[in-house]
Amino acid sequence: MEIKDIPQSTASLVLKDEKFGNSGAELAEPTSEEEIANVLRKANEEGKKVAVVSGGTKRGYGGLKDDYDILLSLSQYKGIIEHTAGDMTVTVRPGTTIKELQEFLSDFGQMVSLDPAWPEQATIGGVIAANESGPKRMKYGSARDQVIGLRVAYPAGTIIRTGGKVVKNVAGYDMNKLFIGAMGTLGVITEITMKLRPVPKAESLVKLFVPKEQVQVLKEFIVNIQDSMVEPASLEMINPALSKKLFNREVYTLLVAFEDVENSVRYQEQWMEEHVPAGMSVDVSQGDKAKEFWRAFATLAPNSLTDQESGSTKAVLKIGTKNMDVLTMMAVEETMTDIDQLEIEIHGGLGHGITTVILTGEESQVKQAIHQFRAEAESKKGYAVVKHLPVKLRKEIDVWGKKPSYFFLFEGIKKTNDPNNTLNYQRFLGGI
Amino acid sequence: MSLFKSRRKKKTRRDVHIEQMAAIVGPDEILFEKEDLLSYDCDGFTVHKAMPKAVVFPKNTEEVAALVKYCAAHDLPFLARGAGTGLSGGAIPLNGEVIISLGKMKNLLHVDFENRQAVVQPGFVNLKLTNSISSKGYYYAPDPSSQYVCTIGGNVAENAGGAHCLKYGVTTNHILGLEVVLPNGEVIEISEDGIPDSPGYDLMGLLTGSEGTLGIVTKITVRILKNPEGKQTVLAYFDNVEDGSRAVSGIISAGIVPAALEMMDKTAIEGVEAGTFPVGHPKDIEALLLIEVDGIAAGIDEQIEQILEVCKSRNVREVKVAESEEERGKWWANRKTGFGAMGAISPDYLVQDGVIPRSRLPEVLQRITEISEESGLRIANIFHAGDGNLHPLILFDSRIPGETEKALEAGTACLKACADVGGSITGEHGVGIEKKEEMRFIFTDEELDAQTRIREVFNPEDLLNKGKLFPTPSRCMDIKTIVKDTVAVK
Ligand SMILES: Cc1cc2nc3c(=O)[nH]c(=O)nc-3n(C[C@H](O)[C@H](O)[C@H](O)COP(=O)(O)OP(=O)(O)OC[C@H]3O[C@@H](n4cnc5c(N)ncnc54)[C@H](O)[C@@H]3O)c2cc1C
Ligand SMILES: Cc1cc2nc3c(=O)[nH]c(=O)nc-3n(C[C@H](O)[C@H](O)[C@H](O)COP(=O)(O)OP(=O)(O)OC[C@H]3O[C@@H](n4cnc5c(N)ncnc54)[C@H](O)[C@@H]3O)c2cc1C
Repeated sequence: MEIKDIPQSTASLVLKDEKFGNSGAELAEPTSEEEIANVLRKANEEGKKVAVVSGGTKRGYGGLKDDYDILLSLSQYKGIIEHTAGDMTVTVRPGTTIKELQEFLSDFGQMVSLDPAWPEQATIGGVIAANESGPKRMKYGSARDQVIGLRVAYPAGTIIRTGGKVVKNVAGYDMNKLFIGAMGTLGVITEITMKLRPVPKAESLVKLFVPKEQVQVLKEFIVNIQDSMVEPASLEMINPALSKKLFNREVYTLLVAFEDVENSVRYQEQWMEEHVPAGMSVDVSQGDKAKEFWRAFATLAPNSLTDQESGSTKAVLKIGTKNMDVLTMMAVEETMTDIDQLEIEIHGGLGHGITTVILTGEESQVKQAIHQFRAEAESKKGYAVVKHLPVKLRKEIDVWGKKPSYFFLFEGIKKTNDPNNTLNYQRFLGGI
Repeated sequence: MSLFKSRRKKKTRRDVHIEQMAAIVGPDEILFEKEDLLSYDCDGFTVHKAMPKAVVFPKNTEEVAALVKYCAAHDLPFLARGAGTGLSGGAIPLNGEVIISLGKMKNLLHVDFENRQAVVQPGFVNLKLTNSISSKGYYYAPDPSSQYVCTIGGNVAENAGGAHCLKYGVTTNHILGLEVVLPNGEVIEISEDGIPDSPGYDLMGLLTGSEGTLGIVTKITVRILKNPEGKQTVLAYFDNVEDGSRAVSGIISAGIVPAALEMMDKTAIEGVEAGTFPVGHPKDIEALLLIEVDGIAAGIDEQIEQILEVCKSRNVREVKVAESEEERGKWWANRKTGFGAMGAISPDYLVQDGVIPRSRLPEVLQRITEISEESGLRIANIFHAGDGNLHPLILFDSRIPGETEKALEAGTACLKACADVGGSITGEHGVGIEKKEEMRFIFTDEELDAQTRIREVFNPEDLLNKGKLFPTPSRCMDIKTIVKDTVAVK
């Protein structure tokens, strides 16, 4: 067992956040699990409401309250607890940032297969609680595929372990799943055990620039790629507005990543070059160049730490649809009117079905666009969650969308874990 | 005349519930006579038996819902059953349950290659899915050794794994959507059309692996994958288990993610060589590894080279790469029929299913050898070495008084050995009845309580598959008395 403490981050936490809410009258910054449990137990007994925050990038994600009684910050509860290279598992505290974790693991040629936005600020606790994923989810899966065990402080102050430290485990219910994506409404995650993968020996990024009129051809090509032998780690499509910002080319761009041993990566790049339909151009970045691109890509969307200036309104949507319907989401903007004061940047994964829409502009147009994207997603049986929005607007727009018919099960689960609504009250779907 | 009589007799034995349920599914879709029920008194875990009240065969979700509503309204305990291959007793009607068999809901409903998904009914057999899509070059990844008979519904309930789960993940990583009949008869659809991350708590993840205690799955959307371009398989023979185990760690630490990495020890090899698919493994080796690498063909050779290097550095006696698809197929048939092959060298066997951190393999295998010596029973090991999922097969003869108890005790000791190194008591076969008490090896009372409270949200009356998965509330039972209880019912 190797223990390593990561130096504390210098990023200070804003206790008060007028714009995004989810703040607290009082700040608790525990440095041990016991302290976390004590804060919860006491609050629970005294009928106080607690908001949990790790890196604080997601204060604009859900939540109807400006202030809770206590803001429980886990940003100082960080570090690697256990890493056994031969087992390819790691146990960390929730306040560890993604970047800190990946840097620690890279010395061993290993990685956590998650590529969320803002790795410098986003913490592993926040990423898991919010179930964030990035483009390479196509190959590696999302948080629910990596987490094998958790320690969770329940509102009553008890510590519950879920899962374990081994990579395969079906003993009892798969309780890990309950806390992933629960937005901290069921318990505070105090320790996370994940399975690791070797850092790929080679990687490259093939960019395919597609003129608007060739979108249909692209669709066929994507089907061909999927039917072929190549194994992309991403098939992330980018709309012309975002493409212009990233590459200064106002066309659709498809980002096809390959990660494997050298020979395999070269072979797949070559396959792409040979099969690209006429009229589309290709650009390949290898190794560090590809890494550099993904780093920049991870900071595209605003977050509640960066989005502090007034002026235009910013919103970020997470849309889930069937994989191929991502193309439809890309095109929603074409049917929209009154968007003269609105910038719409979109990227979506044709291998995983998650589309991210970044809206920047005049408030009423942002609101209108949210409704239109949601209507389109719902017509495809999908959903649109607004994952970044000022608190004032969150009170007007239901950021989580409609409740499923089985919402009573969510209520039942919440009530079982947190009968007094102590934790992150009203942060989640249906006001849970 | 006599025919008439026997019919009348049957009629009088039919109680009102049987009549009512027959009205839901049709008179030919229900079994209730003792002789018809006999084959439903256990599943793949055969040391425990109990008779169901009836077995019903609904044809669609509406019938399942109607049956469940009926049972709920009349306080009749009930449970779901797929193919009955479960190895932990999950489908055994401990409380005289009405068994709702999904055996007649066995259709492939839809395949969507563009979106890489397929929709199946719960009784659809695992291997049939791959067979139905292989002509297009696609397959369904989770491949339990029982895949030619077990159902995808049963796989969801058990979160089944298989040899190729090391690289591709287990059932839960391949389920995109579920239709479920809740214990009150309400039908819900989670992640309809396989849409990812549907907002709210991850009920799909929670239901997968819940061993049929939270609801009955009636429709499943699964991910399908494209066949890898290339595949190569290596067979390596070792003169001692330690070297074999170290080779496993060596391969993993070299940054290779094999599709499969399986191990067998000497006793297991004796079994498979006496079984239906002998390969001609040398009789005097202590361990063999079966290693498969798949992916882009251009990248496989260098990984195979590395694997051969690792094996050589661990004193391998002989190592070879399969030269043809036929040879590869033979090696896998030999491995996948490994459990059954134990029948050739022992009248009975009990398979266990512990998981350990991979790096602890040598010491745990040593401990299992000691358990074998202490119990006087032979233990064969065939297992998924790559993910640390052990399958000690405890060989015994139930005709010899006391030997079944000894086998169960040895099984428990193996699980304790796994728990002691920070492992788990089950990696893919589930807890069922078999490992209920062993849950205490890894969970505290509070942790068990956190889980049972979740069950109560779904299954408040506890009519669905009651008495499974969780230990009886009384604290710290003596293992011996449990063994007695379990065997007494036999
Ligand atoms: C506007 C915006 C856009 C984004 N876009 C993308 C994107 O396009 N792609 C992408 O992959 N990612 C995206 N992200 C993800 C985000 O940047 C981070 O990846 C991460 O999810 C936030 O981590 P955090 O530590 O800042 O979380 P926090 O803001 O601290 O917390 C998030 C939630 O988790 C809860 N929580 C935190 N810690 C715990 C814990 N230990 N136990 C229980 N609950 C806890 C909090 O209460 C809160 O509900 C985006 C984020 C924002 C805000
Ligand atoms: C020779 C052999 C080899 C095996 N190899 C493996 C292996 O490699 N990997 C592995 O993981 N397992 C293996 N198993 C175990 C077993 O095959 C799996 O657990 C399988 O998933 C069970 O499926 P089934 O259809 O037989 O389910 P059953 O045995 O009928 O039922 C199992 C449990 O699931 C519940 N259930 C069944 N259908 C439903 C449904 N539709 N909705 C809700 N609950 C339901 C039942 O109530 C029961 O609790 C093996 C078994 C045998 C006999």
